Amino acid sequence: MSSASFNYVRATELTDALSQGKRPGAAYLAGGTDLLQLWKASLTAPQDVIDISRLPLADITRAGDRLVIGAMARLSDVAAHPEVKAGHPLICDAILASASGQVRNLATAGGNLLQRTRCPYFSDAGLACNKRDPGSGCGARDGENRHAVLFGGSSGCVATHASDLAVALAALDAEIAISSASGERQLALSDLYPLPGETTAPDSSLRPGEMITAIRIVGAERFAPHSTYLKIRDRASFEFAVVSVAAALRIEDGVIAEARLAAGGVASLPWRLGRSEAALIGRAPTEQAFAAAGELAIEGARPLEGNAFKIPLLRNAVIRALQTAGDQS
Amino acid sequence: MKDRTIARYEGVLKVTGQARYEGETSPEGLLHAALVESPVSCGELESLDASWATALRGFPTLVTHDDAASLKPSAATSLIREKAIHFHGQPVALVAAASLSEAREAAKAINVSIAARTALTQMDQALDQAYAPAMVGRFPAATRRGDSTRALGQAELVVRRSYTTAVNNHHPMEPHAVVCWWEGKKAVVHTCTQAIFGTRAIIAHAFEMPPADIRVLARYLGGGFGCKGQLWWPWMFWAMLASRKTDRPVRLELSRAQMFTLVGRRQETTQDLALGFVDGHLTAIEHDVVAQTSTHAEFSDSTAVYTRFLYACPNVTTRHRLVRTNEPQPVPMRAPGTAPGTFALESAMDEAAELLGIDPLELRLNNFADHDQENGRPWSSNSLRECYRVGAERFGWAERRTRSAAKIGRWKIGFGMATTLYPAIRQACRARVALRADGSLLVQCGTQDMGSGTYTALGQIAADALGLPMDKVTVELGDTDLPDGPFSGGSQVTASIFPAVDAATSKLRAVLTSIATSDPASPLGGKPPEDLEFADGMIRSRSGNAGERLTDVLARATSNGLEAEGEIPATDHQKLAATGMGYGAIFVEIGVDPELWEIRVRRVCGAFAAGHILNPLLARSQYIGGLIGGIGMALHEETVTDATTGSILGKSFTDYLIPVHADMPAFDIAMIDENDPHLPGGVKGIGMLGTAGIQAAIANAVNDAIGKRVRKLPIRIEDCL
Ligand SMILES: Cc1cc2nc3c(=O)[nH]c(=O)nc-3n(C[C@H](O)[C@H](O)[C@H](O)COP(=O)(O)OP(=O)(O)OC[C@H]3O[C@@H](n4cnc5c(N)ncnc54)[C@H](O)[C@@H]3O)c2cc1C
Ligand code: SF4
Repeated sequence: MSSASFNYVRATELTDALSQGKRPGAAYLAGGTDLLQLWKASLTAPQDVIDISRLPLADITRAGDRLVIGAMARLSDVAAHPEVKAGHPLICDAILASASGQVRNLATAGGNLLQRTRCPYFSDAGLACNKRDPGSGCGARDGENRHAVLFGGSSGCVATHASDLAVALAALDAEIAISSASGERQLALSDLYPLPGETTAPDSSLRPGEMITAIRIVGAERFAPHSTYLKIRDRASFEFAVVSVAAALRIEDGVIAEARLAAGGVASLPWRLGRSEAALIGRAPTEQAFAAAGELAIEGARPLEGNAFKIPLLRNAVIRALQTAGDQS
Repeated sequence: MKDRTIARYEGVLKVTGQARYEGETSPEGLLHAALVESPVSCGELESLDASWATALRGFPTLVTHDDAASLKPSAATSLIREKAIHFHGQPVALVAAASLSEAREAAKAINVSIAARTALTQMDQALDQAYAPAMVGRFPAATRRGDSTRALGQAELVVRRSYTTAVNNHHPMEPHAVVCWWEGKKAVVHTCTQAIFGTRAIIAHAFEMPPADIRVLARYLGGGFGCKGQLWWPWMFWAMLASRKTDRPVRLELSRAQMFTLVGRRQETTQDLALGFVDGHLTAIEHDVVAQTSTHAEFSDSTAVYTRFLYACPNVTTRHRLVRTNEPQPVPMRAPGTAPGTFALESAMDEAAELLGIDPLELRLNNFADHDQENGRPWSSNSLRECYRVGAERFGWAERRTRSAAKIGRWKIGFGMATTLYPAIRQACRARVALRADGSLLVQCGTQDMGSGTYTALGQIAADALGLPMDKVTVELGDTDLPDGPFSGGSQVTASIFPAVDAATSKLRAVLTSIATSDPASPLGGKPPEDLEFADGMIRSRSGNAGERLTDVLARATSNGLEAEGEIPATDHQKLAATGMGYGAIFVEIGVDPELWEIRVRRVCGAFAAGHILNPLLARSQYIGGLIGGIGMALHEETVTDATTGSILGKSFTDYLIPVHADMPAFDIAMIDENDPHLPGGVKGIGMLGTAGIQAAIANAVNDAIGKRVRKLPIRIEDCL
């Protein structure tokens, strides 16, 4: 139990929640599976906690080629939703590979995207960490860094983003809808996550008081026949990804017409593998094409002492994910 | 003695929440305690500024080294009497307050000032400072039989390899807790301990008070695995001092994070092993172990000890050395010594089999030790060859040639096997049985049930001896008001309580028999005592058609019931005519993804021979639990120290991986019943056997699957590349 106490406010209306949320030291509480753990470990100490879990933002709807997932939808409900299962199996795969059944019953889609990193230095208030405590340094860079990034790291932070769902959504070019007391805006999912700086490393680009209200995916059903989420981990379940790959293909007349690839566990954001994608277009879904995409995926990787194994792992994971996606019909 | 499948005596109490764990004791006026931890891993505590903390709500009380100055100096009190900082997170004070959150808030508000010194946080920074301890447990640290140097020089094949094992933490479900108070000069201590009498003795020593004035209770334990022992004592003492200072009951419970630092660990090892063979027979073994211990205490696992026993070999040299680091102190952890030791030895045997081009199972059979070569005496019993045979058959080891490296889906299949062993030991024990007028039986012994089935075993032994059904039996344990029982460790509780309960029930039987036979009014009057048996709640004549209910026999003599005590002294294992050892053969099938290097255990078969099995249901659960722990050590568990700060990283179950259900395969357990004439009741310990051997079996299977020999634990994705 934490010693720090906070004011708990249960919001019933969005406008009310947004006006409370803009106060300094306020935090939104959705499923609470991340926020409350961080609070217990004294890694965050909000003054006001605005419980938004009861806001009417949990609907999952499909209209035309557009799927909208309310930010308050529970992960288990998203994964079990018939429209998501039929048209966006990649999202179901990624969710069902996340956490455990109990956590998924509580955790929300919006909260999942905003969960903090699992870097072990971040999780210990006694250790140096720029992400938690800007300017304090980075314990992981020269310390234990098996979990660290291959791409986009800085001298200030080398932590990965932990969400599986975000990797699948990045591959599907999802957008998020954001509201605040001063209005609304849209953001491409990949723009939600900044790269780390030299002394700071915020987990998201949301401004204080902003709330994610929905996730939108447009025109992604065309990938449904050929998509897969591959998550590699040390044990069979209930572990964050060592490396993961979301792959989605559109195959037309035996040729890859479109390719989407995003990797998890390798950067501070879901890492889109643009060069691999480009190299696949116009080719038949063959072993050679997949192998070439795998090689391109690891170009520019910058390993640290403890995580070089992720380079061949990522290459092979891309190849395996493409094989699986290519095989389906 | 019968073997019977009896469900856990306390099972219903536990699953319905009626079993009260000691940390749940909530006396009136209870204060809650929190520990203030050192932010550095080496130095000297200078001062504590609690001025702000004491102004907080809940009237926190601070307990420090100054309060502990009144305690008698000993290893158990040194950390709270002396101000040296030995490891990161070492408690430097305790705060007690009206609520847990207030205590924690106050603990955080205390300013600790420490003169820090450069710390040594990794064993491999100081291998040159390794030193030899005198003993490893009850064994000498270094031994030499024959001349291994010469024999290695003359061997046809020498296999020389290094193996390493990681630090593991015990992590019982129930964290350590104490709820304690003083009644005048007497102390009542409800706490998680694997040794209530040991705990009482150490409290008596520290507080310089008569043991009779101290009552220690541990009626249920949510696991221990070796960590509910001496490292907990200093923090328990501080809680007792807080209670004395405030004149209120005090409760301290460790957090999961503190379970990584304060109560022990399985030490890391680096093991150099050399095996010499002539004609497929071992002619030499050298096993050299370096392991970590802390700067405030010394512990060495008996890692190389079992290398002295397992195989027939004329020339064996073993050695243990320790390196002191500013890290938490190790203690025994389930399968101490055998788990890391068999990983090295049984991996090396597999490597040798490969080089010799013979089946690993055959190599082991060829090198079977038919007697204890270290002590030059026979085994009390040894059914290891039977374990190999039964295990191989049930597992289908013969299919190895065709199945190895075959692919099922994405998995490359590998078969591996290894041996496990653990000595059969016994401690002093007293037990009391009381038959009441209504025919119910009370069995009492001051030992503990770690969750492994001691309640059931104790009740079952007594019930069987008197021919009573289990539902007539009440078992009491975990209280120093009861007769002195053994500590729970080393897999020897059942072996120790058996002879004590047997002695007590024998006395009762003798008295009851004589009441019946000496009373002409009894249907058994005048019958020869040897003709009588106790069964179905009666004393019956075996030869004739006569019998009398126990309650009726009892009523002939007394209306108060009868009581008897049994006692056995400690065993001097060195002086026994035969060496008692339990054995097992572990066979595993694993799958390795050859491109993604994930490893999953698909199937485990363990064939164990550990004396007479009292209750196959409990035994099976012990073996499976042990094997799961072994899978964790083989593939998942690793406690990592940050080199710079000395802090343990990832102190939670998110980071410290243990097997989840999806990692647990089908377990096929075979139990080979032994008739051991040397051991009382023929009972050997079983709790450790499952947790050793499996690590090497898995490493051997990985090699079988993908041709990659991994000589470190845990075996992770990156090791299979
Ligand atoms: C043991 C364990 C294992 C896990 N394993 C995995 C895994 O394998 N893969 C994986 O992807 N995740 C995993 N998780 C993480 C889990 O999925 C997240 O904790 C969860 O999704 C967070 O959602 P929540 O609704 O509970 O968020 P909360 O804890 O309520 O909030 C998380 C953060 O987001 C903010 N927030 C929440 N909703 C909004 C919103 N709509 N707008 C703005 N801010 C918001 C909160 O203020 C907080 O900072 C695991 C978690 C646990 C505890
Ligand atoms: S990698 Fe990032 S999160 Fe981890 S310690 Fe460094 S700054 Fe903190």
